[in-house]
Amino acid sequence: MRNISSVLGRLAKSISVSLVLLFAVTTAAQAQDAANGAALFKANACQSCHTLGRNGVGPDLLGLSERREMGWIVKWIHNPQGMIDAGDPIALELKGKYPTVMTPFASLSESDIADMVAYLDAEKVKAEEKKNSPAAAGAAASSDANTMMIIGLVALFVVAIAVIFALNRVTKTLERVIANNQAAIAEAQARHEEAGESNTAKFAQAFLKNKKLVFFVVLMVVGLLGAAGWNTMWNVGVHQGYKPVQPIKFSHQIHAGVNQIECQYCHGGAFKSKNASIPSANVCMNCHNTVTASDHYDGQTSPEIAKLYRAVDWDQETRTYGTNTRPIEWVRIHNLPDFAYFNHSQHVVVAGVECQTCHGPIQDMEEVYQYSPLTMKWCVDCHKETEVNKDNAYYDQLIEAHEKLKKGEKMTAAMIGGLECGKCHY
Amino acid sequence: MKENMLVMNKKNFLGTVCVAVALSAVVSACGDGTTRSAGWEFSPNMYEPLAFNPDQPNPNFKDNKTAQLPPTGSDPIGFVRFEYPNTTEGYTQAGLEVKSPLAMTDENLKQGEALFLTYCAVCHGKDGNGDGQLTKDRKVNDSRGERELEKFPPPPSFHRSAGAKSTRGTVMADLSDGQIFHTITYGYNAMGSHASQLTPDERWRVVMYVHELQKK
Repeated sequence: MRNISSVLGRLAKSISVSLVLLFAVTTAAQAQDAANGAALFKANACQSCHTLGRNGVGPDLLGLSERREMGWIVKWIHNPQGMIDAGDPIALELKGKYPTVMTPFASLSESDIADMVAYLDAEKVKAEEKKNSPAAAGAAASSDANTMMIIGLVALFVVAIAVIFALNRVTKTLERVIANNQAAIAEAQARHEEAGESNTAKFAQAFLKNKKLVFFVVLMVVGLLGAAGWNTMWNVGVHQGYKPVQPIKFSHQIHAGVNQIECQYCHGGAFKSKNASIPSANVCMNCHNTVTASDHYDGQTSPEIAKLYRAVDWDQETRTYGTNTRPIEWVRIHNLPDFAYFNHSQHVVVAGVECQTCHGPIQDMEEVYQYSPLTMKWCVDCHKETEVNKDNAYYDQLIEAHEKLKKGEKMTAAMIGGLECGKCHY
Repeated sequence: MKENMLVMNKKNFLGTVCVAVALSAVVSACGDGTTRSAGWEFSPNMYEPLAFNPDQPNPNFKDNKTAQLPPTGSDPIGFVRFEYPNTTEGYTQAGLEVKSPLAMTDENLKQGEALFLTYCAVCHGKDGNGDGQLTKDRKVNDSRGERELEKFPPPPSFHRSAGAKSTRGTVMADLSDGQIFHTITYGYNAMGSHASQLTPDERWRVVMYVHELQKK
């Protein structure tokens, strides 16, 4: 039923879109203004706060020209805070409704703003067309679909009964035929079996006779088994290249690569603790309370970002959080064995190692995989070559202790950390 | 003659083994080197921790999470609470009353700059001019093809020369210690709260650096 209605809906949508196009062609001049307005609307990131069709951080702008005069709009865009300060009644009302006051865009000229309003008008027309035709058509379609479905079900039922009846008749007829021709059937079966047996046998004989072919097949099997065995055995306990499927298709290529968000923004733990830490979802929401990628999903929120909203129970309409939160169950990629201790902050802060040194070109990975083998040899090789970075406080005590030793001063175990709890109680 | 045959067989045999090994080596190099499976594990009882990792599910808690929130109202030792609420009044009051507890030193300022570049510059711009990477035209080319990425609303510039106003009325270059600290702690407009990412001390270092940017 949903299929049928969605097909009808799509049909109606395409018809309405073509109607809008027709409308746009007839009013070419207006359309040009609107196109310029659309570009300006996007260039100034208006859509980040003003979602068309619903209220967001800012109000829904559809039908703006009906609500407000042009002069007011220009004044507001140029200096919203100034209007509030001046006690403009509409500005004060808006301030009461929306806690955040709009960013001023003083650089937009009056004609620019007129173009943007033209764009909003065009969008309003589009939205209304959509509402009138597909919504109505959709409603009609769904009730049509309901009756169609009932008729279809009844028809299906009738056909099913007819089929059962027919099959019953056929079975009975066939049983009668078999009973009548028992002898002939047995003879035919015997003949067929003989032929089949000899065919397989013939093929096996021919195959075995062709020594080269046998040799080739055996070689191939040995080669493939060898390769599979090699890969499996070599990678026992080594997860290099491990790329598990994650619950959300989060792309590091977009976030770390194109957007150039620092690794530390989300993985701050790498600078402060043993673990690099997976960011809690509130860090995602710092940007994704605004970014929905709806440009690419027909005005709807991207399904992957919607998963985030479900996890933190974020209501896009009211822009509030609920209490029904669910953790996002990311799959851990880098699994060190329990007997190996690794500390991120020691490497990142003290030694100054870049994230990419171990994690590879993260900024190019659409889907993250384990870049380094994380074997003991890999660790040891790096530790053999890397010079100690003395440019921080971490080694101050060590150097001081060595100076004391050189001078022949008295030094107790306690002075070199012998009283630290972890020396005995680890 | 028999010896000859053996030599021949030996040669053939060795040749075959070589071919098989070469074939295995070539086949084993197939693929892009990534896999969905973690493979076999040697002695799992040594590899897998007995204790729960923070990100593991845990049946011992009601909500099945290992990482639990600290009890409400508890503070880490040495933590100073920010008592101003997330309201316009709280913001105004904080702006008047709260002053940075940190001394203006080169080291603090340097750390403030590093923190600003990490946590703020992506929107506010490396120079605090409101032109961070997220506010610019960006394109990504990945498995779903080339497409434009959504732009983040550009924040107003901190520079005195730009003369931009905050949406809460103050000229950006005049924002006080408390106002900036309040905004980092709670967020405002499109900006989210950065309290979980920056400790109070780190926030004060960022504030210190923002004051430097305001002079521009």
